[in-house]
Amino acid sequence: MTDISQEQQSVTEVSQERDGREALLQVIHKEIRRLRSFSNRGLWAFSLFLLVSMMAWYDFRLIPFPESFIASLGAPPPPHLISYLLLFYTFSAIILSLSRMTGNIEHKSSFCHVGYLTGFYLFYHFSKALDDNYWAVFGAGITILGVETYRIWNFCNEAIRIKNEQLEYVKKTGRMPIEDPSPFE
Amino acid sequence: MFTSLVGKALVPVGVAVTGFVVVCCLLLYSVIKEDVNRDSVLHATNLADIILKSTRHAMLKSDRETLNNIIRNIGEQNGVEHVRIFNKKGVVNISAKPGEINHQVDKKAEGCISCHSGDVPVTSLGRMEQARTFKNGNGNKVLAITAPIYNEPECSNAACHVHPPAQKILGTLDIGLSREALDKSLAALRTQMILFTLMTLMLTVGGVTALLRRNVFLPIQAVRDYICRISDKDNQAAPPPTHLPQDLDRITKCFYNLMQKHNKTERELDEARKGVVRQE
Repeated sequence: MTDISQEQQSVTEVSQERDGREALLQVIHKEIRRLRSFSNRGLWAFSLFLLVSMMAWYDFRLIPFPESFIASLGAPPPPHLISYLLLFYTFSAIILSLSRMTGNIEHKSSFCHVGYLTGFYLFYHFSKALDDNYWAVFGAGITILGVETYRIWNFCNEAIRIKNEQLEYVKKTGRMPIEDPSPFE
Repeated sequence: MFTSLVGKALVPVGVAVTGFVVVCCLLLYSVIKEDVNRDSVLHATNLADIILKSTRHAMLKSDRETLNNIIRNIGEQNGVEHVRIFNKKGVVNISAKPGEINHQVDKKAEGCISCHSGDVPVTSLGRMEQARTFKNGNGNKVLAITAPIYNEPECSNAACHVHPPAQKILGTLDIGLSREALDKSLAALRTQMILFTLMTLMLTVGGVTALLRRNVFLPIQAVRDYICRISDKDNQAAPPPTHLPQDLDRITKCFYNLMQKHNKTERELDEARKGVVRQE
């Protein structure tokens, strides 16, 4: 009777261990899938920015004329003021992105930048200075989104590599490895 | 390339520096161009005011000969494309080009439409609104200024004149200046800025890349090759690479010493094992 109950207990332990392993593997697989889809976020933002830039190139034909907008909202800021703001924004966005890269922080900021850059296009459009400043906004967008895309892609690649190592470890041992604290943090 | 140490160190910094320098230069060029254009419009407006002041007396006296002489002399100046005075109906009365006299000006043409777009023409414009840029019949880019000639008490009260006091504008002076010199200066500035940007980028990105490669990446590669080589059993006595930076040199020497100690311990263990076997 005691032998049977011990055998049953060991079978339960084995099946529990197998379930635990399966659950861990599923969690890791799910995380890898999430990271893979997240790594494309920068490219989606990039594509959206290119679409907005194309609309700006054709002088935003879909939105009302600057005159009707100015009549309802008031005079736009002068172009040189928008240029100073664009310069300040580009500088701070690059610094922020490089800081996140240094700190290895997961941050989903790409689409905000597309919004800010669209704002700059619109402000120049309403100030009737888009022809002279189109390439400046386009260059700022390419730079900021380029750095952001690289940051996100690099972060995800590194995280996927670690997850794959964890996957191998779980397959072998059935438990998660003890995580070493990063020496750079 | 992007996942290697070189890529991780150089790609983001290279993209950020290149992009920021290019954006700075584009914005700087745009601001300078705007300033130069505004200055040239102010200069042309001042010139139009000078012409109006110089011709005022001749207009008051209705001295057409003097007026014609002044306009013709101004029109002969270098860089002046056209000078003409037309009346309220848009008929050219005086011009530096005799062929234009008595011709009707199109009110819908660029430069006229800004005042004549509504039912009642605008009688006063800001300085920047008086300016327009277009290509004339000869294919030259022209910056033109239209300055209204206002009715004054001396005009409406003069015995020789017929302008009623209610008439606000008597006519318009239209002067066109060639933009050729201005465009040449802007083109030269653009070329200089492109050269400056390229040189700055070559110095910063190229310099940083070259220095990092020489002082960091190549030594790390040498250390990596050395460690891979020494892990092979046959090459365990291989000496560490020389001419490394101080930190990496210390790492390789420590590793070399550790390997020597490890080899010595292994040899001693082997001998001890052999001794035990012989005793048995």
